[in-house]
Amino acid sequence: MSTVALLADAVTAASPLADAAGHAASPLADAAHGAASPADFMAARQQMAFTLGFHIVLASIGIGLPAITLLAEWRALRTGDPVYAELARRWMKAAGVLFAVGAVSGTVLSFEMGTLWPGFMDKYGQVFGAAFALEGIAFFIEAIFMGIYLYGWDRLSPRVHFLTGIPVVIAGLLSASFVLTVNSWMNQPRGFKLVDGEVTDVNPLAAMFNPATPVQAVHLILASLMVCGFIVASVYAVALLRDHRAGRVDRYHRLGFAIPFSLGAVCAPLQVVVGDWAIRFVADNQPAKFAAMEGVEHTEAGVPFRFAVFEIPNALSMMLKFDAHATLRGMDSIPADVRPPAEVVKTSFEIMIALGMALLALAAWWALSWWLRRRAAGRTGDLNGRRELPWKPWFLRAATLTGVAAAIAMEAGWTTTEVGRQPWIVYGVMRTEEAVNPSPGLRWGLYIVVGVYAVLAAATISVLRRMRRRPEPALPGGGTPAPPAAPEPPSTSGPASGSGGPDAVPGSDSDDADSDSDSDSRVGSHR
Amino acid sequence: MSYADAALGLILLGLSAYLLFGGADFGAGLWHLLTRRRADKDVIEHAMGPLWEANHVWLVFVMVMSWTAFPPVFADIMSAHWVPLSLAALGIVARGSTFVFSKADPDQPWYPWIFGLSSIVTPYCLGSVAAVVATGGTTWLSLSGVYGGVLTTALCAYLAAVYLIWDARRLAGYEISMHFRGYALVSGAAVGLLALPGAAALGVRSPLILLSTAAGLASLVMIARRAYLAVRVTGALAVVAVLWGAAGMAGLDLDAAAAQDTVLQVVFVALGAGALVLVPSMAWLFVLFQRADADGVGGTVSGHRTG
Repeated sequence: MSTVALLADAVTAASPLADAAGHAASPLADAAHGAASPADFMAARQQMAFTLGFHIVLASIGIGLPAITLLAEWRALRTGDPVYAELARRWMKAAGVLFAVGAVSGTVLSFEMGTLWPGFMDKYGQVFGAAFALEGIAFFIEAIFMGIYLYGWDRLSPRVHFLTGIPVVIAGLLSASFVLTVNSWMNQPRGFKLVDGEVTDVNPLAAMFNPATPVQAVHLILASLMVCGFIVASVYAVALLRDHRAGRVDRYHRLGFAIPFSLGAVCAPLQVVVGDWAIRFVADNQPAKFAAMEGVEHTEAGVPFRFAVFEIPNALSMMLKFDAHATLRGMDSIPADVRPPAEVVKTSFEIMIALGMALLALAAWWALSWWLRRRAAGRTGDLNGRRELPWKPWFLRAATLTGVAAAIAMEAGWTTTEVGRQPWIVYGVMRTEEAVNPSPGLRWGLYIVVGVYAVLAAATISVLRRMRRRPEPALPGGGTPAPPAAPEPPSTSGPASGSGGPDAVPGSDSDDADSDSDSDSRVGSHR
Repeated sequence: MSYADAALGLILLGLSAYLLFGGADFGAGLWHLLTRRRADKDVIEHAMGPLWEANHVWLVFVMVMSWTAFPPVFADIMSAHWVPLSLAALGIVARGSTFVFSKADPDQPWYPWIFGLSSIVTPYCLGSVAAVVATGGTTWLSLSGVYGGVLTTALCAYLAAVYLIWDARRLAGYEISMHFRGYALVSGAAVGLLALPGAAALGVRSPLILLSTAAGLASLVMIARRAYLAVRVTGALAVVAVLWGAAGMAGLDLDAAAAQDTVLQVVFVALGAGALVLVPSMAWLFVLFQRADADGVGGTVSGHRTG
């Protein structure tokens, strides 16, 4: 069968669930496979959740940071403003470090697919494997162009250099999407048939382009842009607060905040729309997950919307079906042995919604006050004022929390969809306990992995903090060449090298840039 | 040739690349730990690449190909050997991150130690699993497992030393290159003394033994005669022949385990299309590295890095 034909089939492919009905309800049918102890089974799930949860944040930054880097470089090209170039250079270096950590934490996940879930891989590896092959290619392309971008900083013309960043962004988005097709396939398995428990008629493209793929991919990509934007912004919000206390204005910090925060702020309302799409999809296709998320215990008409301690009569029916008296399926319609743990699902869903709304509110305030100032400045003809952004201490204090909030929201959303799919690893087809490695002692793996990752996280943060304090020559096509591999001789430290540094930026509206405490510590900490 | 054969060929190719390029990275980490000379460490750090551990791409490729093309084989190996494989995964994490961290934060004394130790643990664990699979054994703690681990680690050390002689001469001059020349001679002799009796004990009757031995001896001669670029080829051949010999021993029942042709077709098309983008961009990156080197600011310069 040709690839095109497979693609055509993908569009029309039906769910294998119909064929699977006879087999789905037989947990652990494969007795020869043995079974893990409940403690080991739980440990395997926790280890997967933990390492994936760790990787997800890094991968989000891997997707988002090149994008905001390019935004900054694009502004640098358009305006010739070296502050933008300095930001772009610094962000891409941070992206390089985080990419390295993300690459290895992703490699760990490939191992865990086999060491934790051999039953899953054994039976379905061939169904979704092609997606991982595509992901690997996209990832490799991303890595190569990231190398070109970093190495080409002083060796390519500014325009070509900017263009080499674009494949980094595109390949990052593609590789995330390919990986996500596997997760959406686990929610909506397609592209194979089960005949007497054996997988046949595999169509890898139908598996990849399953019905859940579009909504999950868009939801995840927006989430990762928000996570990255808000995390980077919150770093600069801290610096801006320091500036504010010291009565300074540092343009480098301001732009370093404004670019990523704006990205997050643009994505936040879009995410609300996509989230609405997602919940409708879940309601139509995974009734158990929906009932758990919204806390619908009984199938009834006119279901209220319950959120934390609040309850609005008929609102859920209204929102979902545009009919206040519509009937929605509750958990009591789901057989007891295939119900997800509803409390976990509902709580994590509520955390995601609450944090998402808080981020949206902050983003809306930012956009509104920027627009009001712009309008006011336009009326008085104050051209400089048109670019003024709303810097209020309360806003900055709130903004310092947005990075953590967005990351927690993403983890909570991930928990919602993953735990909401339980007890299935492949929805309706394979139970999670059928997939787990039967070897005893899996829980020791969990303990060690948690320990190693805790150290890794602490070290990553400490290294990034150090990088922030280092002086950095900046100008693309000019400046001092400092590719990441070059051992940086100590003699380049200090203000002497700073012809392109933030402290000597022409046109900066700094009151007194040289007294910047940040630059003092950069010099001081560098031996 | 069936699709399954082609997939197996690709997996072997990926494993060979991982051994030759990734293995050299592990070996470089081993020498980084063992040597006390700052100049040696500088050469190693410089040659190892700037950004991240690109060569693990080969390992990921091998795993993805295995679980796509031969899912039951992958599942059996991974579940039976989850302990050494998990250790290897953690070793990769520790190595990759401490390497980058120690560049960004040279004052932290822990990073080089962890980097060196994990550079030994990872190939040991991977090699012991490979040996157990090849000999049809049961556990990585068995004699064949321990032997495979030690042999693999030694092969990596040998490869790294062979590759680094040229880098050292280019980057640090004659005297430093003599250090690596010494490492290559010692580890080359050690690997030969380890591999040949092992092959005899395991009852390997493969012509690959002769190939490996001949290439290994030729490498010793070339090192003695200071043909440092040519020795990269013969050294690599001596090492990779060991892997092929082990693969020949394994005799896994692959046809029964192979995925359907529709799956492999899509994978091959994807790999072909990907190569159309990957190969030129890799060449470009390589040219940039070379230019970086010519500028005297360094980077990943040695040819073996980009495969």
